[in-house]
Amino acid sequence: MLVSVPTTPATPATEALLRELPSDLYTVEPSELAEYGRDWTKVFEPKPSAVVFPRTAADVSRVLRLASQHRVAIVPSGGRTGLSGGAVARNGEIVLSLARMRAMGEVDTIGGTVRVEAGAVTEAVHQHVAPHGLTWPVDFASKGSSQVGGNISTNAGGVKVIRYGLTRQWVLGLEVALASGELLTLGGALEKDNTGLDLRQLFIGSEGTLGVITAATLKLAHLPAKLDVMLFGVADIPAVVRLFQATRKAPFTLAAYEFFTPACLARVQRHRSVRTPLAAEHGAYVLVELEGAREDELDAWFAQLFEDEIIEDGTRAQHTAQARDLWTLREGISESLSATGMPHKNDISIPVASLQPFVADLEQLLAARYQGWEICLFGHVGDGNLHVNVMKPDAMDKATFLAKTSELDQTMFPLVQKHHGSISAEHGIGLLKKPYLGFTRPPEQIALMRQMKKLLDPQGILNPGKIFDAQ
Amino acid sequence: MKILVPLKRVADPDNANKVKVAGTKLETTGLEWKPNPFDEYAVETALRLTENGAATKQRQGEVVVVSFGPKEVEATLRAALATGADRAIRVDVTDDKLDGDLVARALKAIVEKEKPDLVLCGKQAVDGDSNQVGQLIAEYLGWPQATFAGSIKSEGAPGKETALVVHREVDGGTINLKVTLPAVVSVDLRIVAPTSVKSVYTADGFKYPDGVRFAALMAIMAAKKKPLVEEKIETLAADTALKIEYLGFELPAARKAGVKVKDVAELVTRLKSEAKVL
Repeated sequence: MLVSVPTTPATPATEALLRELPSDLYTVEPSELAEYGRDWTKVFEPKPSAVVFPRTAADVSRVLRLASQHRVAIVPSGGRTGLSGGAVARNGEIVLSLARMRAMGEVDTIGGTVRVEAGAVTEAVHQHVAPHGLTWPVDFASKGSSQVGGNISTNAGGVKVIRYGLTRQWVLGLEVALASGELLTLGGALEKDNTGLDLRQLFIGSEGTLGVITAATLKLAHLPAKLDVMLFGVADIPAVVRLFQATRKAPFTLAAYEFFTPACLARVQRHRSVRTPLAAEHGAYVLVELEGAREDELDAWFAQLFEDEIIEDGTRAQHTAQARDLWTLREGISESLSATGMPHKNDISIPVASLQPFVADLEQLLAARYQGWEICLFGHVGDGNLHVNVMKPDAMDKATFLAKTSELDQTMFPLVQKHHGSISAEHGIGLLKKPYLGFTRPPEQIALMRQMKKLLDPQGILNPGKIFDAQ
Repeated sequence: MKILVPLKRVADPDNANKVKVAGTKLETTGLEWKPNPFDEYAVETALRLTENGAATKQRQGEVVVVSFGPKEVEATLRAALATGADRAIRVDVTDDKLDGDLVARALKAIVEKEKPDLVLCGKQAVDGDSNQVGQLIAEYLGWPQATFAGSIKSEGAPGKETALVVHREVDGGTINLKVTLPAVVSVDLRIVAPTSVKSVYTADGFKYPDGVRFAALMAIMAAKKKPLVEEKIETLAADTALKIEYLGFELPAARKAGVKVKDVAELVTRLKSEAKVL
C-alpha cells in the first residue's frame, strides 16, 4: 500500500512489549496504522505505533498486563465510526482492535438475550437474532461497521433512541479487562441483579478509559410487526416541534422522529442519486416511523395534520424498499456532508421544550457572526438531539476554518448551557469535545471522574487524554 | 390515450438471505414484496405519456393497472393508484398457477374488454427474468410491438395520439422505430431519465426529476377510494394449463473463502498452478 504515515518511532518500551507478543497478533504496517489510528473524525493525524488484534479475552488481558508493565498507552478500538476522536491514536499508542473477537453465541429465545464478543458488528448482531423475531434495538447509519464493544463504551444513541433508549438500556452483562489485565464478569443474563453498586454502568459510556470490554450479554427486543415510514414537508423549525407534539398525542407508538433541513437534502442529492420525494421544497423535513399503526387511524391523523396546517406536504412509503429510500435521505446525511465538503460537527442535546428558543438563539448568532455560511441542521428531535453542522466555505483554508469553528463553539456552547442542554448528546467527548466538557459538567464532577479513572487505571495507560486530561 | 400497465410484485432482493426452498417450491412466507422495478418504470412512463409534465395532477387520458395474485397484491396496485393511475384490476390467482403464457392470454382478454391504445409493460420481471409477457401479448393481439424502450415520444393530436416514436435499447446502440397505435411497448431502465418520455402535452425541453415519482400523502389517501375490481383467471382464459413446469429450485452454492497472497510472484504462481488461467 502506498500510504505514507508519519509514524512515531516506536519507543523502547513499545518495542519491548511487542517482542513479547507472537508476531501474528500485531501489525506495524503503515497503511494499517493509518487505518486503525483514526475514526470518522478527520481532524486528527493518526500516529499509532502498532495495532494489536487479540483473539480471546486472555489475549486482551495479556496485552494490558504487558502495557501496564511497560507503561505503554493503549487505545481500545472497535469499528472506529465515532465522531469525537475517542478511538484516535495520535501519540504513538498501541491500538487494541477487537475486530477478531466477533463470535456470537446462541440466542436465548426465552429470556431474549444473546452473548456476543466485543468485535461483533452491530448489523451482524441484528441479522443473527432476526430469525428469532428479535432485535438489539441499537440502530444507526454506521451499523454496518460499528461494533458492539464500541457501541457500549460510547453508550451509542442513534435513530431509535426515542423508542428504545440508549445502548445502556440493552446491556445485561459485561465482560471487562481492567488496565492491570484482570478480567471482570459484571452481571450476566439477568434482568434483575440488585446487589450493590452496578459496576457495569461505570464502563458503559466511559470511552475505553476505564477498561476494555471483551464481551457482552445483550438484552433483545421483539421485532416490530409493522412499521410505517413517512416523510413530511413543514414550513420551519417551530413547525417541526408542533408536528412532534401532534405525533406524541396521536395513538401510535413512535419509533423514530428525525428532522433535517433543505441544505442537508441538497448535500445528499449531490452525493447520491436520490430523488426528492416531495414535489416542492419545504423549510424543513421530518421523517416519522410508526409501529403497528392502524390504517384508519393513520388516515384520520394525516387529514388532521393538513387541516391544522402543521404539514405542507408528505409522502408515505408504499413498501419496505421505499421505506429504505426515505431512510436514505436521513441516514445518508452524515456521509454526504463529509463526501461533498468539510463539516464541523456538533451534537447538541436540548430539552425538547426548549428546542424552539434554542434554535432561534442559534440562528440569531449565526446570522450576526457567520453570515453566508452553510449550516446543515439535522437530528433526532424526538429526544432533543440536534446535529449542528457548519460547512467549510470552499474558498477558506482548513486552518482558518478550524479556528473559526472553534470560536463558534465557544459562543454556541454558552447558549447550550443557558437552555440546560448538553454539548454532546450521543457522540461522547473523546478528543474533539474535551475542551468544552466544562460547559456541561461542573468542576466537582470532573474531579470525581478523575478519581475513578485513577482508581481503575492508576498508570493512566487506557485511552489517555480522552474525555479529560489526567490533571 | 388509454394505457394498460401490467404490474407484478416481486420479492424484495434484500430478502435474499430469507429465501428458502421447500421441495419443488420457493418458500415465500415472510418475504417482503415490492413492485417489479421495470413495471414501476412502466407506470411512470404511462403517467408521463398522459400528462403535461408541468401539471401532473391533471391526467390526460386513462391509466389502468393490472396485477395477478392473491389479495395482498392489492397493496402494490394501490401504490400505483396513489402515484396517479386511475383504475386497477386484480386477477385472483396464486403465483404457482401462472406462467408467462397464461398471463399473456389473460391479459389479451382484458385488453379486448378494456380496449386501451397502448399496453405498456416492464421488459421483464426481476424474479423469473423470463422476458416473455410483452412479446406474447403483442403476438396474441396481432399488435405492433417495441421492446426495451429507452425513450418514447407520442405523436398526433392531444387525445388522438396515433403513433409512438420509440428508441429501443439494443447491443451496441439504439434502434429507432415508429409504432402505430394500438401497440405493445416494454420499457428498459433509461425510460425514467429526465427527458426520456415526451407526451404531446408536455412542452419541449421539459425535464422530469430522474426516476420514479413518490406518491403524495393526499394522493395515497385518495387512492383508497379509486376503483379496484377483481377478475377470475378462469373467466379470462378458457385453458388455464401451464406450459412451463418448475421441476425444482436450489440456492446458489456458498462461495469459498478467498486467500491473501503475499506478493505478485505468488499471485502469478497461483494463477498458473491453481486457477490455471495463465
